[in-house]
Amino acid sequence: MGTLRPPRAVIAGVGHTSFGKHPGTSAWRLQVDAFRAALEDCGLQASDVDGLFTESQFSEPLLMHGSLLGRQLGLRPDVLSTQSQGGATCMSLCQTAAEMIDRGMCKVAAVVYGDNAKTGMPNIYGLAQMGRGQADFVAHGLLGGPAMEALSAMRYKHTYGVTDEMFGSVAVAFREHAVATSHAQYRDPLSMEAYLASRYIAEPLRLYDCTIASDGGACIILTAPEVAADLARPAVRVLGMGQAHNLDGLRDRDHYTHFAGARASKTAYAMAGLGPDDIDVAQFYDCFTSTVLITLEDYGFAPKGEGGAFALEGNLRIDGGRLPSNTDGGMLSCGNVTGWGQVIEATKQLRGDQGPRQVQGAATAICSGHGGFQANHATMILAVA
Amino acid sequence: MSSQWEIPKPEPTKNEETTPFWEGTAAGELRFQECEECGNRQLPAAPACVACLSPKVVWRASAGRGTVFSYTVIHHAFHPAFAAEVPYVVADVELDEGPILVSGIRPVDPAAVSIGMAVEVWFEPMADNPEYVLHWFRPAGGES
Ligand SMILES: [Zn+2]
Repeated sequence: MGTLRPPRAVIAGVGHTSFGKHPGTSAWRLQVDAFRAALEDCGLQASDVDGLFTESQFSEPLLMHGSLLGRQLGLRPDVLSTQSQGGATCMSLCQTAAEMIDRGMCKVAAVVYGDNAKTGMPNIYGLAQMGRGQADFVAHGLLGGPAMEALSAMRYKHTYGVTDEMFGSVAVAFREHAVATSHAQYRDPLSMEAYLASRYIAEPLRLYDCTIASDGGACIILTAPEVAADLARPAVRVLGMGQAHNLDGLRDRDHYTHFAGARASKTAYAMAGLGPDDIDVAQFYDCFTSTVLITLEDYGFAPKGEGGAFALEGNLRIDGGRLPSNTDGGMLSCGNVTGWGQVIEATKQLRGDQGPRQVQGAATAICSGHGGFQANHATMILAVA
Repeated sequence: MSSQWEIPKPEPTKNEETTPFWEGTAAGELRFQECEECGNRQLPAAPACVACLSPKVVWRASAGRGTVFSYTVIHHAFHPAFAAEVPYVVADVELDEGPILVSGIRPVDPAAVSIGMAVEVWFEPMADNPEYVLHWFRPAGGES
């Protein structure tokens, strides 16, 4: 790997639809609405957008998705990229966009996603997304995101003596943050007792250990610093970027308890010139509570096996925690737009105007994107400009 | 809408890579790939050795014994065809020969399953399509 330096790129605008049930609303409509919201957020026009970066909706996996969306947005972009890395896709797209902005290949990049996952698709992950012959485990009933991640969570629990309350402390803390977030999908308080009493989905994962499903769209606008200087909202700097992909599965027996996030964050930290102690707020890819605990460790916030104790001590809470995390409630409580929410909430926190959920003095944020069931990972470190 | 959900139990697929595996289960044999160049043993099937990329991979028969590397007890039926089976156990089984493969453990009391538990293979044709014979595992030493 060569010398790492941050890209000359900033996040200028973020936008999203409301999260929840939008029956009858197409995935395309959610993508278009989010694109419009992000442009309104930063004051740019669609005609300013010369880079389009997309991921296909899961409800209708498509080749050439970016071309199809671009037509509906009326765009004639200079650069176009559609990627597919599961929950790591958003941050991978943002990284490609930042790099192309840095190179001068485009000036205003829109990173767009939207899906009607709550009302528009059968919840049968693992069938359509994997190629024939590569998903034969479906015959034994290994279906659904929770079931696939549960194999990691069970191994992690067994190896390090993680308790139910440690998993639960993540769900309870993030719900506490959602209560203070006006646009969160689930805002009823959640107690540890209610968490422990909730039904199992796939042991050791209970209902509240699992991401919610949302109909929703989200968009992030990246641009060059000189473009952002003329805009109304404060820009947020892209300071660190990293990726890593463990595509060799269980040939390395550690892959269920050590994700590619260790390598991805190492790159991002080095690019930013920062370490875990320098991070003020985190937005983890919280598809499951176990994923958050393992990522905490992979990112250096706790030694391996001690992420659960770190969370149980209240360190993820806005109220007095060492590392306020998923400050809008995350995918566990606020909304699930597969990784876009992490970057959007980090940007909002660094703007510093989030009312009751604002982390006071937040100047740096780290975001994780985790996908492909322990395979793909991307990291972003953002900072006030 | 309802027709979208009335889908049969998902089947494995036979293709150039996987056909020898499913021919094996139909013959009562659990097979894995072994590389003649470097000795790597692997599942799932791939066109070449994932350790050294040699195309000289051959199929070997496992003795059918292994241990539970990880598992989950699935309580929520993500597919309607499994609604009558919950709760059921899916596991990553580490064969004594090395490779890990996904399977189910049955019959078993889900509460009796643990990581490191010794298991042995057995075979059963799929009810919906007997062309496919699935590999299952049960606690080692059980009745045949
Ligand atoms: Zn080899």
